[in-house]
Amino acid sequence: MSEQTVDQEYIHVPILVDVPYRFDAGKYMTRFLVELRDNEKIYGIKCPSCKRVMIPPRIVCARCHVKCDEWVELSNEGTLEAFTIMYFPMTDPTTGKPHDPPFSYGSVKLDGCDAPIDHMLNIEPDMSKIKVGMRFRVKFRPREERRGDLADIEYFDPIE
Amino acid sequence: MKRNVAIVGGGQTHHAARRQDVSQPEMVNEAVLAALKDANMTMDDIDAVLLGNMEFFEGQHMTDCWLADSTGAFGKPGLKITTGGTVGATIIAAGAHHVASGLFDRVLCIGFEKQEEGDTNAILSGVAHPLFGRSMAGAAMGFFAMLGSSYMANFGATEEHSAMVAVKARQNARKNEYAHLKLNIKIEDVMNSRMLAYPIRMLDMCPASNGACAMVLADEKTAKDRCKKPVWLRAMETAHNEQFVLEWRDTSSTAPKFSDVAATRVYKKLGVKDPASYYDVFEIYEPATWAEILWYEDLHLCKKGEGFKLIEKGITEIDGSIPVNPSGGVLSTNCIGASAMLRIWEAALQIRGDAGGHQVPRDVHRALATGYGGTCWTVVTSLSDSLED
Repeated sequence: MSEQTVDQEYIHVPILVDVPYRFDAGKYMTRFLVELRDNEKIYGIKCPSCKRVMIPPRIVCARCHVKCDEWVELSNEGTLEAFTIMYFPMTDPTTGKPHDPPFSYGSVKLDGCDAPIDHMLNIEPDMSKIKVGMRFRVKFRPREERRGDLADIEYFDPIE
Repeated sequence: MKRNVAIVGGGQTHHAARRQDVSQPEMVNEAVLAALKDANMTMDDIDAVLLGNMEFFEGQHMTDCWLADSTGAFGKPGLKITTGGTVGATIIAAGAHHVASGLFDRVLCIGFEKQEEGDTNAILSGVAHPLFGRSMAGAAMGFFAMLGSSYMANFGATEEHSAMVAVKARQNARKNEYAHLKLNIKIEDVMNSRMLAYPIRMLDMCPASNGACAMVLADEKTAKDRCKKPVWLRAMETAHNEQFVLEWRDTSSTAPKFSDVAATRVYKKLGVKDPASYYDVFEIYEPATWAEILWYEDLHLCKKGEGFKLIEKGITEIDGSIPVNPSGGVLSTNCIGASAMLRIWEAALQIRGDAGGHQVPRDVHRALATGYGGTCWTVVTSLSDSLED
């Protein structure tokens, strides 16, 4: 910066590029997303060696290096492990549009699973009203709105 | 290691939110020239050049080619490395492997980022699983907010504890001439700063910085012949977390964790029983305040769930018994591709006694540096002024 002077001109060139992608869900995620879309069911995958039930389902257990092929239906209810209240108008990378803050967002571990799902919480964005350990239930979108995406879960509803 | 490896020189740019006076090659060249000068070498002395950054941040692919002139890499062997937030430390690990193997004697390592040229948050969304939660990805603050809420619920820490980390970082940065955020702040300033994602406030997060760091690594003969104060790389370990199985969202989880696993391997390799007394200073990668508190525990500086007590008691202050990030750390300067290398370079400066205004007030013989990035992986690097330990 030492050489910069007040009247020195610098040129800055904007590059505006829109790069779309199309991901292939593959065998395991397709099955997971079809069950979610068509049957309102959430499935994890169980490792035959360490017996952990993992989500999202994957073909290989990272710890045991063995093929996972036992599908386990999970409960629609679970426990909040961590949360945040988002105040920052973050862009949703899947739509390019900003989310509408403030909103509550958290990690819910469904009963029968060893890993949580991160999703919206349908609860007032008030830090005094959200507690780690609270119970939540999955709220699915109506059938006609479901398209085979994690967003087929609309949010987690607190269990009164 | 097959051959001993030393840091024989290094340098960095002045880090800032705006560096519109330089292009990427010009900025990187500043660090390269500083490192060569510090090592008392020219490019003729360098056998290979390793370079890295998060190239999507700047939108310029194949940065090794684009920068071949200003890095000095033209016509020399070398590699480009991109491992996210850890990249600066990964470059040093790779450079050390190049020297330790015996294939190269003097390797120039360079990490940089010019964050202002692209959209960091948009690019970071690509770290998330494409089909499982990406709609909420895109900023690191949500990630660290979840760690903070879980940590407070599990262990009884408060938002004031994270604010203490924020204050320590920026007050230390004021002593570091190269740091980006040099803020004379108090705890109430942090608590009054804008809430981004509860419990993360503006001053709980790192800035987006522009800057570069470069270091020269050498074999034992070169180091002893040509360097007055070589700093030896005694051990390096990398470890990943399991991807997208978010067991560690729950901070009380006992599942294997990348940071603990890598540190444990370093300690075992060097026979370290009590890292808090073995090391004289720590330079860790803390993109948010809560990350620093968790690092205290993962590096075994205290028991699990007691990290917040270290900051509460002032133990990790620059003049405390376990100084952590006297440079101001990532919370004060985050030019991502350089940040993990800066941890190692700052640790080396402390061992040399050359840190200047932020030199810790004690004899420094050994230091530990960490990187942190991707969806949780690390490079842990142990440095010493001696080959005897």
